[in-house]
Amino acid sequence: MVEYIIRRTLQMIVVFFIFLVSSYLLFNAIPGNAFSNLLLNPNLPPDAYQKVLETYGLDKPLGERVQLYVVNFFKGDFGYSYKYFPKTPIELIAERLPRTLMLFSVVNIVAFYTGFFIGKILAWRRGSKSETWITITSVFSYTVFYPWFALMMLWFFGYKMGWFPIGKFLYPEKWYDAPFDSDVIFSMMIKFTLVVSLLQFFAYTATRGIEALSSRRNIRFASLIAIFIGSYFYWNTGEALARKPYAADIAYHMILPVMVVTIVAFAGTALLTRTTMMEVLKEDYILTARAKGISQKRIRDRHAARTALLPVVTSFIFTIVTIIDGSVLTEQIFSWPGMGQLLLQAVLEEDIPVAMAAFSFVGVFALIAHLIADISYSYLDPRIRVKSQG
Amino acid sequence: MSKDILVVDNLNMHYETLEGKVMAVNNVTFSVKEGESFGLVGESGCGKSSVASTLLQLQSDNAVISSGSIKLDEKELVGMTESELRKVRWNDISIVFQGAMNAWNPVIKIGEQIREAIREHYPSNSKKENTEKISELFKIVGLEDSIMDRYPHELSGGMKQRAVIALALSCDPKIVIADEPTTALDVVIQDQILKEIKKVQELLGLSLIYISHDIAVIAEMTDNMAVMYAGSIVEKGPTASIFSNPRHAYTRLLLESTPSVVGEKKKLRALDGEPPSLINGLDACAFSPRCPDPSDDCKNGNLEMKLIEIEDGHWADQCCVNCG
Ligand SMILES: Nc1ncnc2c1ncn2[C@@H]1O[C@H](COP(=O)(O)OP(=O)(O)OP(=O)(O)O)[C@@H](O)[C@H]1O
Ligand code: SF4
Ligand SMILES: [Mg+2]
Repeated sequence: MVEYIIRRTLQMIVVFFIFLVSSYLLFNAIPGNAFSNLLLNPNLPPDAYQKVLETYGLDKPLGERVQLYVVNFFKGDFGYSYKYFPKTPIELIAERLPRTLMLFSVVNIVAFYTGFFIGKILAWRRGSKSETWITITSVFSYTVFYPWFALMMLWFFGYKMGWFPIGKFLYPEKWYDAPFDSDVIFSMMIKFTLVVSLLQFFAYTATRGIEALSSRRNIRFASLIAIFIGSYFYWNTGEALARKPYAADIAYHMILPVMVVTIVAFAGTALLTRTTMMEVLKEDYILTARAKGISQKRIRDRHAARTALLPVVTSFIFTIVTIIDGSVLTEQIFSWPGMGQLLLQAVLEEDIPVAMAAFSFVGVFALIAHLIADISYSYLDPRIRVKSQG
Repeated sequence: MSKDILVVDNLNMHYETLEGKVMAVNNVTFSVKEGESFGLVGESGCGKSSVASTLLQLQSDNAVISSGSIKLDEKELVGMTESELRKVRWNDISIVFQGAMNAWNPVIKIGEQIREAIREHYPSNSKKENTEKISELFKIVGLEDSIMDRYPHELSGGMKQRAVIALALSCDPKIVIADEPTTALDVVIQDQILKEIKKVQELLGLSLIYISHDIAVIAEMTDNMAVMYAGSIVEKGPTASIFSNPRHAYTRLLLESTPSVVGEKKKLRALDGEPPSLINGLDACAFSPRCPDPSDDCKNGNLEMKLIEIEDGHWADQCCVNCG
C-alpha cells in the first residue's frame, strides 16, 4: 500500500509539472493583459518602464521565464497581483480557499451519499411505482440545465419563500464587530468536520471485529451518541462558544447552495448505482447470500451495494475535475466568494499572476482529490489492493 | 429404518415467460431419508436446478409453484414466510449451487463469508468459536486455515469449490444439495472433489441430493436416484436396481450413451435429437419423438404418464413398463 501511494505521488508530480508548464504557455498566449496595457501607456517614463520589466522578469526569453515560473512556484512565490498590487496571489488564495473547500467538500459528500443511497433503494425496489417516479425525477435532474435550475431555486427559496439568504456566505452586518476573520471560522469548521468524520470512521473500523451483530450495532450507535455529545460540548465551551453564532451564520448560508448542487449532482451517482446494483443483484453470490438465510437488508448493503460501489467510485473520481470547474459557475450564481470566483475575476480582469496561481491551485486540488479517491478505491477493491502490493 | 428427512409430493412449478409457461417441474414426487445420498440425473434443461431451487424456496421471481408440497423435517416449505425461510435455509438445508465458482462475493474475505452464515444461525457464538468451527470444516475438506483471510480471486477453482463445501456445512444442515458441483473443474480436480463430498457425507451422516447430467457420477455417489426428463421424473429407485434393470427407454439410452468404467466394453449409443421445449406443457410421453421403438399406445398418447412400482422401491413410467 505504501509503495502504491509513493508511486502514485511520483506520477502526480510529473503530471503536475506538465500541467504547470502548459498552463504557463496557455496564459502566455493570451494577447495583452492589464500589465501590458500599463506598459503601453505612452506617458510612462522610460526608466520606470525598464524597472517594471525587470521586476516582473518580462524582458527574459520565454524558456527562461517558464523555468523561473516553475522554480518560483515551488518556492511559493507567485509575484504580485496586478490588480491589488501589494497583495500577493497567495494571500488572496489563502483567504478564498477555505470557503471553497468547505462548501465543496460538503456538497460532494452529501451528493455522493444521497446518490448512492437513492440508487441502492431504486435497484432494490426494481419494478415498483416509487422506483419509476424517482428514476424519472433523477433523469430530469441529471439532464436539467444547471444555471437555470439554480436560479429558479434561488428565486423560489430565497426570494419567494424567503427561507434562505440569496447569495453571499454571511450577513456582513453581523460581522462588523467580529474580533476575527471569516476564514478563521472557516478553517475551524473544516477542522471540526474532519475530526468528526475521522472519529466516526475509526469507531466503524474498530467495531468491525465484533462478532455478534447486535452488540456491534449497539456499540456503533453508542459511539455516534458520544461523538454527538462531544460536539455539543465543543461548541458550548470556551473559544468555540464565542464563535458559534458566526459559524452558524456561515452554515445557514451554505444550505441553499448545498441543496441545489446536491439535487443536480446526486442523480448521476444514483442512476449509475441503480444500474450497477441491478447487475450485481443477478450475480450468483447474491443467491448464495440469500440461501444462507442472511437478512435482506444485509444482502442489500453488505453484498450488493458494497460491490456496486466500485464502478460508482470510479466514475466519481472522473467527475472530481468537473466538480471544480462547476465551482466557478456555482460560486458565481450564489455569489460565494471562493476560489472559483477569484479565478473568474482574475481572468476577466487579466490579473495574470492571480489567475495563474488560482489555476495551479485548482490543479493541485484536482490531483490530490484524485489521489485520495484512488487510494480509497484500492481500499474498496481487494483485487487492486493485492496487485498494488505485489 | 431411518426416517424421511425431505418429502416432495406432487410438486408442480413453471416459469412465466413472454412465450408462455415453461413447465419446468411436473408432478415431481420423491423423498430423501436421513443419511441417504440421493441422485437426480437428466439432460441439460430438464429441470434439475429448478427442483433444487424450490427446495430452498429460492426459485426466480417469475417462477410459480402451482401445487404440491415440500416437507423438510415435517415442516412445510411451500408458502412459508421469508423470515421463517431464513431460519430454515442453511440451518436445515444448504446448497452448493451450479457454478459455485461464482458463489463468492469478490470483495469479502472467504472466512468472513462463512462466518456471516454462522453468525446468522448461531448469534451467541464467540468469534473464537466460529473460527474454530471454520478451521474444523477446512480440515475436513482439505483446506488450510490461512484461506480464511484470503479473497476469492486468490484461490484456485478447486480451492474455491472446497471452500464452498465447507460453507455449505457451516451451519450443520440436515440435508445438502450439490447441483453439479464439479462441472467447472478439470477432470483430476473433479475426481478429488467427488471423493471429498462422498467422504464428508459419510463422515457426518448427511443427507445429500446430488444433481448431475452424468449418470456415471450418480452411480458412484448415490444410494437412490431419480431420472428426470422434460420436467418429470420418469424413473426412480435404488441406484443399483436402476442400473441393473432400467425400465424406461430414456434411462436405458442414458446408460448406453455413457461409457462404463467397469464391465464389458459395449458399443456406445448416441442420444439423438433434442429434448422437447417445455413451453406450455406436454401430454403423453415426452420422450416419444426420440424413443427408439415407441409402441402404438405411446404414439397415440393413449397412456397417461404415471409412475408405477415395478419392484421394491423401483418406480417407472407406466407406459414404458407396459411397452418394454
Ligand atoms: N428463470 C427462468 N425463467 C424461464 N425459464 C427458466 C428459468 N430458469 C430456468 N428456465 C427453464 O426451465 C428449464 C429447466 O431449467 P433448469 O435450469 O432447471 O435445468 P437443469 O436440468 O438444471 O439444466 P442444466 O443441466 O443445464 O443445469 C429450462 O428449459 C430452462 O430454460
Ligand atoms: S413410453 Fe413409449 S414412447 Fe415413451 S419412452 Fe416409453 S416406450 Fe418410448
Ligand atoms: Mg442446472
